[in-house]
Amino acid sequence: MGVPMADLPTVTGERPGRLSRLLRPLAFMSLPTAVLVLLFLAPMGILVYFSFQFGDLTGSTGFTLTNFTDILSDPLYREIALTTFQIATIAMIAQLIVGIPLAYVLAYKAGRFELPLLLALVLADELNPMVRIYAWRMLLGREGLINEALMSIGLIDVPIDALLFNKFSVIVVLSTSYLTYTVIPIYASMKAVDAGLFEAARDMGAGWFTTFRRVLLPLIAPGIFIALLLVYVPLFTDFAAPTLVGGTTGYMLGNVVSDLVLENGNLNAGAAMSFLMLLAAGLFSLVAYQLSRIKQGAK
Amino acid sequence: MITLSNLTKTFGDSTAVNAIDLEIANGEFFSMLGPSGCGKTTTLRMIAGFEEPTSGRIELAGEDVTWTSPKKRNVNMVFQNYALFPHMTVRENVEFGLKIKKLEKARATERIERMITAVRLEGFESRHPAQLSGGQQQRVALARALVNEPAALLLDEPLGALDLKLRKEMQLELKSIQQQTGTTFVYVTHDQEEALTMSDRVAVMNGGNVEQVDDPRSLYEKPRSEFVADFIGTSNLLKVEVETWDGDIARAGLGDGLRITCRESGDRASAKTITVRPEKINVHAGPVDPGQGSLVRGRIIENVYLGSMTQLIVELSTGERLIVHELNDDSGGPSEAGTEVYLSWATDHSFVIEGAAKAPDQQAALPAGAESL
Repeated sequence: MGVPMADLPTVTGERPGRLSRLLRPLAFMSLPTAVLVLLFLAPMGILVYFSFQFGDLTGSTGFTLTNFTDILSDPLYREIALTTFQIATIAMIAQLIVGIPLAYVLAYKAGRFELPLLLALVLADELNPMVRIYAWRMLLGREGLINEALMSIGLIDVPIDALLFNKFSVIVVLSTSYLTYTVIPIYASMKAVDAGLFEAARDMGAGWFTTFRRVLLPLIAPGIFIALLLVYVPLFTDFAAPTLVGGTTGYMLGNVVSDLVLENGNLNAGAAMSFLMLLAAGLFSLVAYQLSRIKQGAK
Repeated sequence: MITLSNLTKTFGDSTAVNAIDLEIANGEFFSMLGPSGCGKTTTLRMIAGFEEPTSGRIELAGEDVTWTSPKKRNVNMVFQNYALFPHMTVRENVEFGLKIKKLEKARATERIERMITAVRLEGFESRHPAQLSGGQQQRVALARALVNEPAALLLDEPLGALDLKLRKEMQLELKSIQQQTGTTFVYVTHDQEEALTMSDRVAVMNGGNVEQVDDPRSLYEKPRSEFVADFIGTSNLLKVEVETWDGDIARAGLGDGLRITCRESGDRASAKTITVRPEKINVHAGPVDPGQGSLVRGRIIENVYLGSMTQLIVELSTGERLIVHELNDDSGGPSEAGTEVYLSWATDHSFVIEGAAKAPDQQAALPAGAESL
């Protein structure tokens, strides 16, 4: 049975014209773009706008750089920035020291426990941050579990105060808060590395450290850089942990922003500080991304 | 020299390697051949040090290395999937072992270059493994292991991942590299042709046991067990009752005045089966005097033209079937299906071996059809 001639033009007529073929993807993208602009870029724009202003939206005083010069010339802020950098870096290194062996066990040694362990790692991250931080306070505090335990076995007579409300406790809480995001990308990159390579290295006389440094580490470098990208920036800007366990010595840049805005009501200074942190984070991400690409290119 | 004594490896309840003894001479191309699960790879990995034996001893050049770490053993391994370091160039891969041994730079460079030339990889030094073909990767793996000048090179099915044509080329190349360097090669394979082509001696393994260690010709011509006879090439197995022994020649009757004579090979007490290769059998239209050899009668039931030869399947009066290969050179006897024929073969071409009544797991390992043909 033949196709009626009249049907043919409609079939060809449905083929989209050149213009509509170009427009169609744009139409698909318009909604997400609108959402992104509205919810993400607009507040960001307002933040940047405020950082170059005095006063709020109603009482604008025009363009100024004072917000930035005030921050950059204040030695106190410089000191806090240094503390923040120190805490974030130590917490990152601590996570790598724990995270890489953990990822190794997950990827190569866990066997049938691989999936349950992975699940446990993800669930650990699902814990509400407030609950986690308060749990750490109960562990590290004057009457916390650690002090109680040490006193009951007679190792110490008076509780150690150095465990809580300082840099140390901030580092401990931050390290444990982001461990999941450190381990998962490293674990994923290890899954792509054939464990037979370790045997080959051993066969040629390499010890475990040489095998790690010369075989495993270069191959999982992309995973490590992704972990840095995912974790280091949030570490740098965190303010919940320093607020709750930081005391006076564990005060970080995130606290500065929240105090400037919430305590002092100085929206402009807070915006300027946020903008500077955004720049630093952007710069860091760019470097980490480039490094991960260089390593991947070498494959 | 590598000496394995009473070497055993068990995984839980199953015995992978069952108290084997082997001696591998210096400069020898030695193969371990067998079906998968026969324990050949486990044995190799024990020599390399990647598996610890359950019991027994491994000696390397007279030194007991049973409990020595693989990095301290003077042997190197070529892995089945090559295990090349993907982030290193060809040169860096080859260099790896020497860097670890902290060999003096000038000597290291000289050795690396000599090795790269030996495996014909000049010009590929700065490539990464992913940019090489399978055969080239294989040669990098060889160079990376051989550059360490090991007392023995252990190869775990190194040609398994290559296609047939490349595999044939690499067989010859492996053999020539082995002869050039004079290194002892211990080669694991399930491919009998590969083992026969390259090896000085072959150990045929089955179910964790060594069935026979011999040079390729003896393995084919004088198999000592039913398993070896069947695993290496095509073989006819006939069940017989030995009537008399005349020196090392066994005589058995098949009724009808027909007789079988064959050489002793293996344990006389359990001798229940004889083997004869298909190409050793002559076909005659009528009874002939076989001299000292064997003569049986049967009927051709199948005739398959194979180009250079014709394969006949002949059913004996006992109901057993023999495969016969006749060269297509016009000199052969009758080959029409249904024809009554006489088959003869020389005493030296047939051997009495142990009967099939061995361990049941070994029975299961026999390929299908081993019983009926």
